[in-house]
Amino acid sequence: MVAIFGFVPVLLFLALLFLLDSFKLVKPRLLVLCLLYGIAATGLSYFFNTWVILSTGISFESLSRYVAPIAEEFLKALVIFYLVAARQVGFMVDAAIYGFAVGTGFALAENTWYYWNLGTDFSALLAIIRGFGTALMHGGTMSICAIFLIEGIQRSSPAWRAGFIGLLAAMLLHSLFNHFWLNPLMQTMLIIVILPLALYLVFMRSTRHLQQWLEVAFSSEVDMLRMIKQGQFRNTRAGQYLASLKEHFAPDVLLDLYCFLSLYLELSIKTKRNLMLKENGFPVILESDIPSKLTEFKQLRKQIGKAGEMALYPLVRMRQRELWELNQLEN
Amino acid sequence: MNIVTIQNGDFLVIKLQGRLDTAQSSIVEKMFLEILDHGHERIILDCEDLDYISSSGLRIFLIAQKKILGVSGTLRICNLQPNIREIFDISGFSMIFSISHDLVAALNPDL
Repeated sequence: MVAIFGFVPVLLFLALLFLLDSFKLVKPRLLVLCLLYGIAATGLSYFFNTWVILSTGISFESLSRYVAPIAEEFLKALVIFYLVAARQVGFMVDAAIYGFAVGTGFALAENTWYYWNLGTDFSALLAIIRGFGTALMHGGTMSICAIFLIEGIQRSSPAWRAGFIGLLAAMLLHSLFNHFWLNPLMQTMLIIVILPLALYLVFMRSTRHLQQWLEVAFSSEVDMLRMIKQGQFRNTRAGQYLASLKEHFAPDVLLDLYCFLSLYLELSIKTKRNLMLKENGFPVILESDIPSKLTEFKQLRKQIGKAGEMALYPLVRMRQRELWELNQLEN
Repeated sequence: MNIVTIQNGDFLVIKLQGRLDTAQSSIVEKMFLEILDHGHERIILDCEDLDYISSSGLRIFLIAQKKILGVSGTLRICNLQPNIREIFDISGFSMIFSISHDLVAALNPDL
């Protein structure tokens, strides 16, 4: 019964974050993947920490303050780095939830280990500290890491720099927690108060940002696609810019650029429509021709190459979010 | 943005006039919710004088649709100007809503 305190709070917190995701950005299968990865990361950390103690003779206190935070946060972050690289994360909200899920898996496995080894010594107080304090800390640090990473990338920072800053923040917070400068119960109370508030503010900011992005991008993309479909694109500034590229590109490549832009707009508008549908509880629409259009889009992207993409920068940039958008349709 | 409501048979016809953009969407959303709170379950949105709609406006339509479906009511849209109709078609929202050519067709879809 006591053990429930060690497991339930972090799971409930994760469920709450999932429910707060109003645009349903998080994919349940990826959430489960993050949870399972978190569990696996606990095993890897255990073996690494044991190896460090045995091979260096470092004290448990030093290990928990300096070595474990670095190793554990690094291992936890790997799956987040993978999801971002695979364009499966688009906003701070989904980044935070996936991050928290990794930490949840980690904490569940770690608390199971404690419960298993301590048996009857796993007191109610320890369960509360581990369940509300350590477990939420594990989720919180990885949420922060993921938020820093995605926010950095959205602000055009190099991914490695954004990832490094995120990871460093997670490691520092973890190390700070493990120093126990405050009474453990007091520290747990602080986490219970600060973490939900901080994540709530992040969610509010991210949702506002998403709504603004939808508002601006949806309207401009619909306008541009409408002009293309009506054959009036050449009369627009964007059309004139595209026409000006004929001095630099062969006619067939120019045609590919035009098709690439048109197809991107079409697919991007459909993703945004689906986001709006999900936000309001409607099932998403996946037109039967979407898979073939995605295939065509990928082919065109190859054909125009980096030079073509750079030439289109003033009209559309294939950054993290644009590629994430297309992934939404693919999945 | 002007909003005029007229009871026409079983339907409450809401005439939207002007631009439905970010600035106006919260006002229109509030108005929709008030109308639904008053028990109106059969609604026609007459967009004859709607000049512009942004994604915020479309989201208001979705909110209204969801609320009305929740009480097994009916929401129809009519008189969309060609440029607005195109937005619905391009984005695929035409598949979500019941859109009629004009008010008569919206009132009598079987005709």
